[in-house]
Amino acid sequence: MENKDKNKLSRRHFLKAGAVAGALSGTALPLQAVFAADAAAEGAATSESKATLPFSIRKLLKEATLPAAKGARVVIVGGGWSGLTMAKYLKIHNPAFDVVLLDKRPEFISFPASNLWLADQINLDFLTHSYIDAAKTHDYNFLNTTVLGFDRESKKVFTSNGYINYDYMVLAPGIEYDYSRIGVDDPEAQMRLYNNYPGGFVNSSEIITIKRKLHTFKGGTFILNVPNGRYRCTAAPYERACMAAAIFKKRRIKAKILLLDMNADIRIKKQGFEKAFSTLYSDYITYLPSSEIAEIDIDEKTISTDFDDYQFDDAIIYPPVRASSLLEDAGIANMKTTQKVANTDPYKYHVIGDEHVYVTGDSRSQPFSKGGHTAHSEAQYVAEVIAAHALGKEIRWRSPQTMCFSAVDIDPLKAMSIITFYKFNKLNKEFEFDRTHMMEDWNTEGGQASLAWAEGMYRDMFYK
Amino acid sequence: MKAAFQQMLFGLLCLALSNAQAVEKITIQLNFIPDIEAGRTTFGICARCHLPEAWGNDDGTYPQLAGQHVNVLMKQLLDIRNGTRHSSLMFPFVQQRTVGGYQELSNVVAYISTLPMNPAHSTGPWRKGSAKYRQGKKIYQRHCSGCHGDNGEGNNEMIYPKLQGQHFHYMSQQLGNIKNGVRKAHPAMQAVIQNLELEQLDIAANYASHFAVPKADLAESRIWRNPDFK
Repeated sequence: MENKDKNKLSRRHFLKAGAVAGALSGTALPLQAVFAADAAAEGAATSESKATLPFSIRKLLKEATLPAAKGARVVIVGGGWSGLTMAKYLKIHNPAFDVVLLDKRPEFISFPASNLWLADQINLDFLTHSYIDAAKTHDYNFLNTTVLGFDRESKKVFTSNGYINYDYMVLAPGIEYDYSRIGVDDPEAQMRLYNNYPGGFVNSSEIITIKRKLHTFKGGTFILNVPNGRYRCTAAPYERACMAAAIFKKRRIKAKILLLDMNADIRIKKQGFEKAFSTLYSDYITYLPSSEIAEIDIDEKTISTDFDDYQFDDAIIYPPVRASSLLEDAGIANMKTTQKVANTDPYKYHVIGDEHVYVTGDSRSQPFSKGGHTAHSEAQYVAEVIAAHALGKEIRWRSPQTMCFSAVDIDPLKAMSIITFYKFNKLNKEFEFDRTHMMEDWNTEGGQASLAWAEGMYRDMFYK
Repeated sequence: MKAAFQQMLFGLLCLALSNAQAVEKITIQLNFIPDIEAGRTTFGICARCHLPEAWGNDDGTYPQLAGQHVNVLMKQLLDIRNGTRHSSLMFPFVQQRTVGGYQELSNVVAYISTLPMNPAHSTGPWRKGSAKYRQGKKIYQRHCSGCHGDNGEGNNEMIYPKLQGQHFHYMSQQLGNIKNGVRKAHPAMQAVIQNLELEQLDIAANYASHFAVPKADLAESRIWRNPDFK
């Protein structure tokens, strides 16, 4: 009876409702507002406005299909190293949690260790893993979906599959490139730069393109750069220069690598990299510190720094990075910070004023080194923080750990490593390095250890 | 013909035997003379995480390996290698493809045993002489000292781990793991742990973390760095 009335109503009021829908679709209303408008109309003549909203928006107002939550639901946005580890350890610390991991990628391809794949030291299977395996092994739900927005008031995350209600939400969406910090502001120029010279640190298609470039390069000048600021994976651009040189050396092509470092000096494992540049690759790598990129001319294939212009035949341009714009969508990004990070509690990781929303991984606001191992050790701790919060408890702060291998030579693989911890300097109110242990003597033991490290990490996140 | 018959009879006999008898465990004892110099090289793999001093970590993420009995170290390596002791992160490191075979394991274990111990390992939250410390002493002496020794010295021959110098948080975590079934242990150890509450285990570990380490086993200072890995 009621249904019948509703149907009648919706037909009768079609025109009026159409006007509302037009207003909704014509302007870029925040998702929360759309949802709130719909909720407000509830009871009066809801279904009419719902029925006439554009299909894509109607979908947002529908709950995503998931098994009913059996306990407090924790939704994790982003299935990288932080999100995957978080999902597993949340279930370990509180098996009653209903954990849902969201990622827009259908499968996982590891960025850590991908430089080894460029130089054919491992195959793609080594880096590729299934979210299904991870979710099944560790007893949580994985949803292959794109996150569109949030409403922290009603604790909802909107996805392309519909909305999901959460009790806790962990944002681990990672980073985005910030081309504006190398003077490229125009979206068309950014896209051209990205398509022609991808950086290889955000999307796995980038590393596939880079591998093809390195293995088909005919010779000449190949430019690689090191960005400034807290970019992802401090050692990786230097490691990549070594791997690129090793590939060119093996292919016996006449190639010159210009490594333009926007920093004044090698940022990490300086001695080890210097030794590699001067002993293994002196014919290939020219290291140019303090090379702030001032201009890139894609048509002329020229990069200008304050000192010089460099002509190139091919390049990999790694721009500075910022936190994912999903933090902006959630209304928690502090746009005054260089990396547009959220204002979070430095010890407990929650958004200030909201102990149900956490930010971890490379989009965190703490200045920890961005990379897989840091995210992995940090997520284990934050999972415990959230489990404790659900019980009204608190736990002792633990420093994340940064372990970082760098491959230097191939066939056989030789690598060096560093391990470091952090502490809070109460005077400066900043985190700083605590103990740092360098093992810069690259050798085959380091190479074997780097492979075992990556395998162990994948085991922990995906398998038993 | 006769040969064929004999062969058939032999076959039947084998069948009968295999049906009648349960398969028995075969124990093979192998002896290796460790090469400490080679062990030093192999330790270059381990030291990436355990660090060149093998002193472990205050927060319990890594144990102090320096000074541990060789048989205890070897047992852990083999247990992790075959999955008896679960460690996703360490599993690939102790496989043949990474670290090598029994000889290499023997070498590396022998090398670790030459390292001086951390002179400033982390102790538990309850200081010496406190009420909790005294309670911990009672629990320890009643349930633990029989195998681990009055001063936590352990026993190499019997493969009982040395507790002297071990970080409090490491012991506390491992006891919790055994109690929760995450880590398997010797049945006797398992039984003791099941009969104690987590808090009792913690105060026993606190007591053990205060054991004095013989001066001869310690590095000269906390800033000592292993010269084998500059």
